[in-house]
Amino acid sequence: MLEIIFDLLANNAVPLAENVSTETAAFPPKAAAALGVGLAALGAGIAERGIGAAAVGAIAEDREFFGIGLVMTVLPETLVILALVVIFLV
Amino acid sequence: MSSSETGNYEYVSARVKTRRAYLYGDEEYRKFIRMGPGEISRYMEETTYAQEMNEFGARYKGADLIEYALNHNLASQFEDLLRWSEGELYEHISRYLKKFDAWNAKTILRGIYAKEDGERIRDDLIPAGEFKISFLEQLIGVGNVEEFVGLLEGTMFGEELANAFREYEETGLLVSLENAIDRSYYQQLLKKIEVVEDPSLVLYTKFLRAEIDFKNVMNALRIAHSGSEISIVDYYIQGGKQFTSSKLSSSMKNLDETIGMIRESAYGEQLAGAIEKLENTESLISFEHELESVLLEYCDRLSHLYPLSICPVIAFVLSKEKEIENVRAIARGKEAGLSPEEIEKQLVIL
Repeated sequence: MLEIIFDLLANNAVPLAENVSTETAAFPPKAAAALGVGLAALGAGIAERGIGAAAVGAIAEDREFFGIGLVMTVLPETLVILALVVIFLV
Repeated sequence: MSSSETGNYEYVSARVKTRRAYLYGDEEYRKFIRMGPGEISRYMEETTYAQEMNEFGARYKGADLIEYALNHNLASQFEDLLRWSEGELYEHISRYLKKFDAWNAKTILRGIYAKEDGERIRDDLIPAGEFKISFLEQLIGVGNVEEFVGLLEGTMFGEELANAFREYEETGLLVSLENAIDRSYYQQLLKKIEVVEDPSLVLYTKFLRAEIDFKNVMNALRIAHSGSEISIVDYYIQGGKQFTSSKLSSSMKNLDETIGMIRESAYGEQLAGAIEKLENTESLISFEHELESVLLEYCDRLSHLYPLSICPVIAFVLSKEKEIENVRAIARGKEAGLSPEEIEKQLVIL
């Protein structure tokens, strides 16, 4: 899945940079920030995939793991929250 | 990235590790040793074995009840493993669990050889492998060893068994057939794994090799101990790395030399305690138990190093088997009126 994004970046970003004059950035700042948040969310999703599977497995054996399982599963979500800060900075 | 190709390691190892944590520990065994069979089954009813205890409670009692509950629980837990797992992981687990096909085949073979009643053979089967119950029934139903070998033709045991059958016809000894079953089991296990380069699988192969090595050592020790004329070379299981057949056959003349050979091998360090015990007691059983617990410890370490591999599953399978053996030993020992100390000697405790 990551490969697709890198492909997209390689194919679209570079021609963009060539067309625009040297003073402006390859990406408009807002778009870059949005992309950053999106990538962060993707990262969090990949991380949660494994943790979620393990958490559900543990919960299936013992309901007591529900609390800790939930916390562990959403832990990577902090990545997205931190990435959101970028939105307010640009 | 799809889990159906590589396997859902996260899910399975989480479930397996939870189950592992609920296995009986030293404390329970110590309690069991002081209880009678009735009390043990009561205690078991309140733990993982509730379903089996309720199912068989009306039909059997005492140590028989415990034995039935243990065997069926083992089978159902291992079925669970296969039900949960997907893809590559499923392949590995199902190949490893063929161990019970080998166990069942050997049990039935011995039963037929000893002209045992079908009902009694059935009691000792563990339906956790790939063979269907109906196929096992068919095997129990055959009249002699030749028909048995014929029926297994086409399964993974077929080829080796057919070869061993010729030897059996000459000698009339069951050893060659039993050994053929073990051999073909390990061969099919290693064949598929050796080509892969995944680090976790490399370790898994290492573990399998250790298992084979230990099996070879145990066979060699048993032969040495019994003082019989059989040569280990004929019964050597291929795939072990540390002990070659020539090494084993040259050093198996007596027990001391065999022990010396194990000490010099790569396992020497890990087995130091066990070897010392063996020298002191000369009891084969305690040494075999030590070997088993060393293997379990090794597998445990692997499962910590590579949590997302088959290693935690194998560690669970091994420790579940130990649990079954231990509880059975306690229940049978109690029924036979053995003293707690004697029973304790029969247990594999980590």
